[in-house]
Amino acid sequence: MKTFIADFHVHTLLSPCAEIEMTPHHIVMRAAQYGISILAITDHNSSANVPAALEAGRKYGVTVFPGMEVECAEEAHLVVIFATWEQLLNWQKVIDNSRIGLPPNNAEKFGKQFVVDADDNFLYEEKKLLLGSCSLKAEDVIKQSKEMGALVFAAHIDRPSYSLLGQLGFIGDDLQLDAVEISRLAIAELKEKKLKPLVGNRPYLTNSDGHTIVDFLQGPKNFLELKEPSLEEVKLALTGKKGRKFTPGYFIKYNC
Amino acid sequence: MKVSQIVKNLQLTKVTSREDLEREITGGYTSDLLSNVMGQAKAGMIWVTMQGHHNIAAIGALIGLAAIIVAGGTKIEEDTIIRADENELPIFTTNMSSYEVTGKLYALGITNQQ
Repeated sequence: MKTFIADFHVHTLLSPCAEIEMTPHHIVMRAAQYGISILAITDHNSSANVPAALEAGRKYGVTVFPGMEVECAEEAHLVVIFATWEQLLNWQKVIDNSRIGLPPNNAEKFGKQFVVDADDNFLYEEKKLLLGSCSLKAEDVIKQSKEMGALVFAAHIDRPSYSLLGQLGFIGDDLQLDAVEISRLAIAELKEKKLKPLVGNRPYLTNSDGHTIVDFLQGPKNFLELKEPSLEEVKLALTGKKGRKFTPGYFIKYNC
Repeated sequence: MKVSQIVKNLQLTKVTSREDLEREITGGYTSDLLSNVMGQAKAGMIWVTMQGHHNIAAIGALIGLAAIIVAGGTKIEEDTIIRADENELPIFTTNMSSYEVTGKLYALGITNQQ
């Protein structure tokens, strides 16, 4: 087994709320510098900056998973992660079809949404609103993305907004989530396990949900023991199968 | 005031089939954040929400609510109805907004004041 430091929830400058410094190249370069070997790029309802991140990942030797942070009809955030770009592209079509009739982005109010290449060159500004919910219920987002090969977890369940736990009160067994994510503000939950009665026996993941480079580097990561850095191996680790392991609540040494 | 009187007064549509409409309503609560409802709503209350997810039935039964009104023309899941019937919890729908429904309940005297 090999060890990996993984962050499965990182935003690029495509997300209106993320800083402009969050170019795919910059994120991947910093990841390589600090030994973060697995990343998932997860912008709000969009995949447009994933190709640049995949290219940068190949250049720097960082495994990048194509992903997305989806807002379901219940106004909760779910992170879906795929093994390949083609899978995410197919998933993007599902999301686009369920987000029809939304107004254009108000860049002054929400922030600009930039698409760039792997060398930080500006390509275009996404004019469609990326914030806001799709018409698919949580149940459907989970079911349909998993059928397409995704690993799915409910984002920042401890937070007061956009949390599946907050919106639904408890997360029933019928939702086939691979994990639930605990935000950096609730790391104590890993030990206290106060939310367990409400979220069931699902594993906890801890990711940076980085919108700035400092957030990204200071935020929590996961320490994984895998045979290789593939999505299938990560799925095994989450279920503790075949000797694969994961430990949430891992922080890298970083002083800003 | 009994659940049946509210139904008549607000012209609500009943979606459940095994419920107690003669229960006395002790107060009301309006919220779509289910974690908040779990913490704040009390037994005997009537709850107004726009969520049609089946967790509303479980939460209603857990707290011991008198009834749930799903407002704003929200489509309600089949599962929600099944679970509510299992618990003999009445659920109603209406095209009125949560604001209007809550206002009407308040005007009928359901004010949470002892």
